[in-house]
Amino acid sequence: MISYTLRRLLGMIPLLILISIVVFSLAKLMPGDPFSGEIDPNNTSVEYIEEMRENLGYNDPIPVQYQRWVTNLAQGDLGKSTTYKKPVMDVILERLPNTIFLAITSLIITYILAFTLGMYSGRKPYTLGDNVIATFNYGGIAIPQYIIAIVAIYFFSFKLGWFPSNGSITPGLEQGTWEFWMDRIHHVVLPAMTLGLFSTASYTQFLRNDIVQNSQMDYVRSARARGTSESAIYNKHILRNSIIPLVTFFGFDLATLIGGAIITETIFTYPGIGMLFINAIDTRDYAVVMSLTLLFSFLTLFGNLIADLLYGVVDPRIRY
Amino acid sequence: MKKKFSFLFVLILAVVFVMAACSGDTSGEDKEEKDTTEEKSNDEKGSDASSEEGQLTYAVDTAPEGLFVPGFAGSIIDSRINDLIHDSLISANENMEYTPHVAEWETEDNKVFTFKLKEGVKWHNGEELTMEDWQFAIEVLAHPDYDGPRFDYVKEIEGAEEFRKGDADTVKGFEVKDDYTAVITFNEAKVNNLENLWTNPMPKAELEDIPVADLSSAPEVRENSVGFGPFKVKEVVEGEYVSLERFDDYWQGEPKLSEVLIKVIDPSLTIGALQNGEIDFMEIRPDDVEELETLDHVRIEEQEGLGYSYIGFRFGHYDKENRTAVADYDKFKSKELRQAMFYALDRESLVDSYLNGKATIVNTPIPSVHWIVADESELTQYDYDPEKAKELLDKAGYKDVDGDGFVEDPDGEKFVVKFGHYAGPAAFEGRTQAIMQNWEDVGIKTELATGQLVEFNTYNEMKDNDDENLEVFFGAWSVGSDPDPSGLWHSTSEWNYGRWVNEESDKLLEEGLSEKSFEQDYRKQVYIDWQKLYNEELPGLPLWENLDLYGINNHIQGVTIDATGPREFHEWYIEK
Repeated sequence: MISYTLRRLLGMIPLLILISIVVFSLAKLMPGDPFSGEIDPNNTSVEYIEEMRENLGYNDPIPVQYQRWVTNLAQGDLGKSTTYKKPVMDVILERLPNTIFLAITSLIITYILAFTLGMYSGRKPYTLGDNVIATFNYGGIAIPQYIIAIVAIYFFSFKLGWFPSNGSITPGLEQGTWEFWMDRIHHVVLPAMTLGLFSTASYTQFLRNDIVQNSQMDYVRSARARGTSESAIYNKHILRNSIIPLVTFFGFDLATLIGGAIITETIFTYPGIGMLFINAIDTRDYAVVMSLTLLFSFLTLFGNLIADLLYGVVDPRIRY
Repeated sequence: MKKKFSFLFVLILAVVFVMAACSGDTSGEDKEEKDTTEEKSNDEKGSDASSEEGQLTYAVDTAPEGLFVPGFAGSIIDSRINDLIHDSLISANENMEYTPHVAEWETEDNKVFTFKLKEGVKWHNGEELTMEDWQFAIEVLAHPDYDGPRFDYVKEIEGAEEFRKGDADTVKGFEVKDDYTAVITFNEAKVNNLENLWTNPMPKAELEDIPVADLSSAPEVRENSVGFGPFKVKEVVEGEYVSLERFDDYWQGEPKLSEVLIKVIDPSLTIGALQNGEIDFMEIRPDDVEELETLDHVRIEEQEGLGYSYIGFRFGHYDKENRTAVADYDKFKSKELRQAMFYALDRESLVDSYLNGKATIVNTPIPSVHWIVADESELTQYDYDPEKAKELLDKAGYKDVDGDGFVEDPDGEKFVVKFGHYAGPAAFEGRTQAIMQNWEDVGIKTELATGQLVEFNTYNEMKDNDDENLEVFFGAWSVGSDPDPSGLWHSTSEWNYGRWVNEESDKLLEEGLSEKSFEQDYRKQVYIDWQKLYNEELPGLPLWENLDLYGINNHIQGVTIDATGPREFHEWYIEK
């Protein structure tokens, strides 16, 4: 397993190089540059824009620019954000905790809901409760996230006033206090539910189908014959088997949650890296856009690796 | 197999992101659409203001870049926030004329200016404002390591260029006589020297130990900036909010509000947040007006702004070597053709349908708040008149020869106008179609350049590079307090996108900056003559002036807004 992991990690290197080329060329193919939107004849001059372009090396041939970027990257230097005039690493690190907090909350909500609903549905298939849950699930899968976000804000924030509609914190709270953390949680619940709705829906449905399928297996029949209680059969025997495919999803979740956060964060004005990414694209902040795209790509690769490794962990039949 | 899959996935991911990039504006449009459908069923009021006593929540729709010292700030949002923290030595009145504020000035010849500062003006850190602070700001802006966008505001001062090249230790033209007096000498006597002078001092005591190259990333600029405006910085949370508190020693008197919270919200939340009192003040879009007007506790203030929209014509290309426009594109050479295209536009219904009526129809490219604006009575009014348009076309030789309902050019060749417009909110699509329809109605065949609305950055690039596809293009300018229009319409200007070359216009624009124009009435007359020429020649069709719109909760009173934005924050208060 260790050698497999190492092989996979080594295999990522050429892939990452290829990705870096793709990311770089696509970023440069975006029309405009950080200065193209900035034309305000009273505030700036053509000379200034030209000078900045020259200083930042935007006038060099593309291969030269790529080489410079990759060399810096290899040395751990992600460059400087043209918008925030700070190292990209600092900009990302400032926002990252918010996104991670959102992702974890979202995962927790997803798992709790998916397990409860999925187990209920799987145990009582084709009942009214199951059908209601299924309707909810297909709705959750079919409706795009940005619509869910807007609708959620409209009902839960504006109509009912249960949750704040934007931001990650109420201004003026002292960091680290109990109120501070409760306020953060209060702010994160709505975006987290929105973000997790899609996976909740698909996990629930997945778990349900698996439980229904498993309940017709021979081992369940023999357990029943032995007189094992119904709840023990479902909660122990079946659940253990059904959980296997679900656990492996965790790997994919890594990338999906952070990728999905781009839309959710923007609508909820939740200052994480998703919102940063959109803003960076708007202002053509190349260094930030490229670093984040690389980060997302890396998370996807890494998530896949985790998923593959988890297969082996939860299912002893799989050998590497 | 799995590896291949993951590579594909990553690739798709990357492509999707960049695609998302290319359509940044469209996603904004989606949001707006949703917004209106969402609010339609909304007729409740819920006006219990959540804000505390004396606290104003000022919402902005884009995250600030975080540069809270003027001189480093480039984005409009940063400047809006800086208006609360900082103050300027000189301000402009409602006609955009310069008036003394913290400082007053005297000049004999428009070359040497003597400035006198009010005594006892305090910075937030308790230090007194002196001329040294101003000198410091000027030298930062002129410093070789300075990375902000405002060098233009000091380059006219004598010795600034030398200082920037490293040939001098000080900016020679800025002499501090004593704490409250300074003499500034400019390179040459120009009528708009004052308009192009940097008048925001920087707190020398706070910033002088930081190398200029590091200033824009220093916490003294980003997190705890010190100004002498009505509010001082309490807390900055990047991308989320900036919280400010009252500065008791503000030189114009203690501000009435105790706190101002500047909060970033997504534009799709504007109406809801104003409705439930979560925010008190926000600059809004014309699309939101209709919904907001139904709310009892929110008022909308309109202000004639400094922005106008126009339609430009292509006359040639820009010679980047010699920095001048070259007129070598003859398709729109006929003045009658351009006038006909103007008469053909039903601007009133365009404004009503696509801007909720929130724009003023004009016939000059000078914003009406500027003191040099020509009275509309002196200008030809190009009101909607399709018959007149047809007449003019006929006179200029544009006749329908082959009977297909559309005119041919004077040589009998097919005549098709390619019209370009940039992408944005949903209303842009309809507006573009309506303009094209107006022209087709008088017999001018019109095509949409590139077949679709062009992504904004691409559109700007096309204009910069004189792309052949943009023959006739929609544009908008927002200008500053300097009334001089030569930056946009002089034949040597890069931003004269139509590449209009007209000797008389150049002459008038130069005359407006000449020594004779030190006489204000003379200068005004010169610009009026220029506007008359523009109005006759129509190198672009000035369509309308946009109104700046603000949604304000009724309990916020004492609000002053002028063409440059919200002002006089120390007088704002909350009515109990």
